[in-house]
Amino acid sequence: MTTQKVIRVDVRGEICPYPMLRAVEAMTKAQGEEGIEVLTDHPPALLTIPNEAVKRGWDVSIQRLGPSEWKIALTKSRVAEGGQR
Amino acid sequence: MGSATGTVPRQALGLARRGLLAGLAITGAIVVFFLFSGHPKWQLLWAFGLLFGYILQRGRFCFASAFRDLFLMGESRVMRGVLAGMAVATPLFTVAMVLLHPTPLPGRYPPEVNVLPLGPHTFLAGVLFALGMTLAGGCISGTLYRIGEGYTASLVALLGVFIGFVLLAFTWGFWWQTSVAYAPLVWFPQPLGYTGGMLLTLGLLGLALLGLLWWEHRHRTPRGGVWAVPSEGEGGQGTPPTLGGQVRTLLGAVFLRPWPVVVAGAALGFLNGVLLLLHRPWGVTGPLYGWMEAVWGRLGVFLVPLPPLMGLDQFGGACNPALAAPRVFGLAHNDMVVLGVVAGSFTAAAIAGEFKVRVPRQRRRYLQSLVGGVLMGYGAALALGCTLGAFFSAIPSLALNGWLFAFGLLGGSFLGARILRKLG
Repeated sequence: MTTQKVIRVDVRGEICPYPMLRAVEAMTKAQGEEGIEVLTDHPPALLTIPNEAVKRGWDVSIQRLGPSEWKIALTKSRVAEGGQR
Repeated sequence: MGSATGTVPRQALGLARRGLLAGLAITGAIVVFFLFSGHPKWQLLWAFGLLFGYILQRGRFCFASAFRDLFLMGESRVMRGVLAGMAVATPLFTVAMVLLHPTPLPGRYPPEVNVLPLGPHTFLAGVLFALGMTLAGGCISGTLYRIGEGYTASLVALLGVFIGFVLLAFTWGFWWQTSVAYAPLVWFPQPLGYTGGMLLTLGLLGLALLGLLWWEHRHRTPRGGVWAVPSEGEGGQGTPPTLGGQVRTLLGAVFLRPWPVVVAGAALGFLNGVLLLLHRPWGVTGPLYGWMEAVWGRLGVFLVPLPPLMGLDQFGGACNPALAAPRVFGLAHNDMVVLGVVAGSFTAAAIAGEFKVRVPRQRRRYLQSLVGGVLMGYGAALALGCTLGAFFSAIPSLALNGWLFAFGLLGGSFLGARILRKLG
């Protein structure tokens, strides 16, 4: 099992649009094989973060942790990165 | 990765909490409805408020997001929902106006819709309002629906809105003299006729949509294919072919999963049109301003009397605080929409398990929300309406002021997005 360094971004309690901005910051800073886990309780972020992630070549999966709490796991997509911004 | 042993009882507790909140919300909505028996206008506006609030929450529909995301991410997704709403509302509003005023006399404008004075103040109000909504993380309707979801920062934003109202009341004289008093009312059916006015509005909305496509192209925002994102929660298997399975999936789509924003927008626009046919367009600024006046009046002994907004009895629209409205349980009928939005959003959140008391970790978010709210309050009172009254309900009213306010909103959101990034 490959151990992957995971960057945790906890944006619970943050107001719009900071959950998405923080996630994008983390994606921009991530290097190599790092994965990102975003913890959020902000419903709009469940659409905006995956949207921005896929644009940047990341795969997304969302797991519900509890009443109005979600973990958005981002991993760099294995698909060819040619031409992706 | 394996599930911890504590998760099943936790899940049960979570469901119980959800059921309790949902039961509370639904019961409360019904009780309030019957509390106002014999007062059909109050019941009507409560019901519509509930529906509006429900849909806002389900669709995560926020004007702040619609405008701000254009500049923050080059994204037009929510704005498309807004345009869809106005496109649906426009023919309904036109029909309503035709029924109310089949042959409008020259120089006469239907007071039931939001034809508002058009001047530099309209544009400036849009800029201020949008600056405020971007900082506060939501417009006024967004703030109301987020209060229903449990966001404490939105309560602070609402407080800011009231403060903004007060500031405008004391400075209204300046705006009246420099802009509002001379501002014309421009309503498309004079001189284009109802059909011409409606077609012009729909045409402009179509142009706006093209503009959004161009904007996203300019930002090289990819579309299509990005939606292969596994949906949160229930597995994401295909819909079972049985009738029961189909019904469950449909119920899930309405009550448990988020609505596509275009569907939410269209539904809101449709309801707005129906509301006008039955009463007036959707608006919250007027009632909120009335609350501010009422509270100020109570404190009147200690404070300087609040200057009335002169000249407003001439105009219709969302903000007409000169009207002395009859009250039931202390509430004017228009107040029911505001309360309904909060309650409807709470109901939606409760059923979907999205209600949570959310407290910002950083204290400065409270200050940010407060300042944002003050700007929103000032801008909304200056424009005699917020993103609802001066925009979402004004454009379908076939009034030019809606478009000028919209340009102001664009400008303010552009500035606001920059400031947001700097604030971090």
